[in-house]
Amino acid sequence: MTEEQLRQIKPDKVVDARGTACPGPLLAAKKAIGDIDKGQIMEILSSDEGTKRDVPKWAKKKGHEYLGTIEENGYFRIFLRK
Amino acid sequence: METKKMCLVLVTGSMDKLTAAGVMLSGAIADDYQIDVYALIHGARAFLKANADNPENLRMAENTDLRPEFEAALKRLNVKPWIEFFREAKQMGDVKIHVCGLAGKIWGGEKLEDFDPIVDDIVGINECITKLQEADIQVVL
Repeated sequence: MTEEQLRQIKPDKVVDARGTACPGPLLAAKKAIGDIDKGQIMEILSSDEGTKRDVPKWAKKKGHEYLGTIEENGYFRIFLRK
Repeated sequence: METKKMCLVLVTGSMDKLTAAGVMLSGAIADDYQIDVYALIHGARAFLKANADNPENLRMAENTDLRPEFEAALKRLNVKPWIEFFREAKQMGDVKIHVCGLAGKIWGGEKLEDFDPIVDDIVGINECITKLQEADIQVVL
């Protein structure tokens, strides 16, 4: 997805894991994915550089669709579809 | 899909390596691994009730002079104490923590109640070997 398309997304769940280091954002994503239904979208906010690569790889392994990442000032917005 | 298994053997009881073990545990839990942790020698000592929540009772394995720096960095980065990684992993997935019977006795932990409540049982070494044989990932620290 393009950044413009990502910015249009209204996520079904937002997980704010900013301020936590690895593996905090990954575990937060793992916990929260259970709260949404198949087809719904989750946005993970993280200020941890490693999460930018970790979460998309985790999502692929678990069968979720990685939609893309937006880099904001000091944090990342990572979008997944369950 | 068949559940993957991880066997984590903790010979170490040092706070730096236990923190690393906790981080690895979290990664495996995120992938839904079934995890068996075996605490041997110093690892068993770390899980004693008297030590689990008292990191001052544990030493660093490496760069011992950097302990204040290490602890300050963990605090700044909101990294939880090592034992909390294990507690959280148990809440989130299939994690069993076993203590070696000999190791327990070395440190005065003869009964299950001598250890933090997250410890499941006190076992013999053959069970640990069997789990290592069965596991998809084996980690020894």
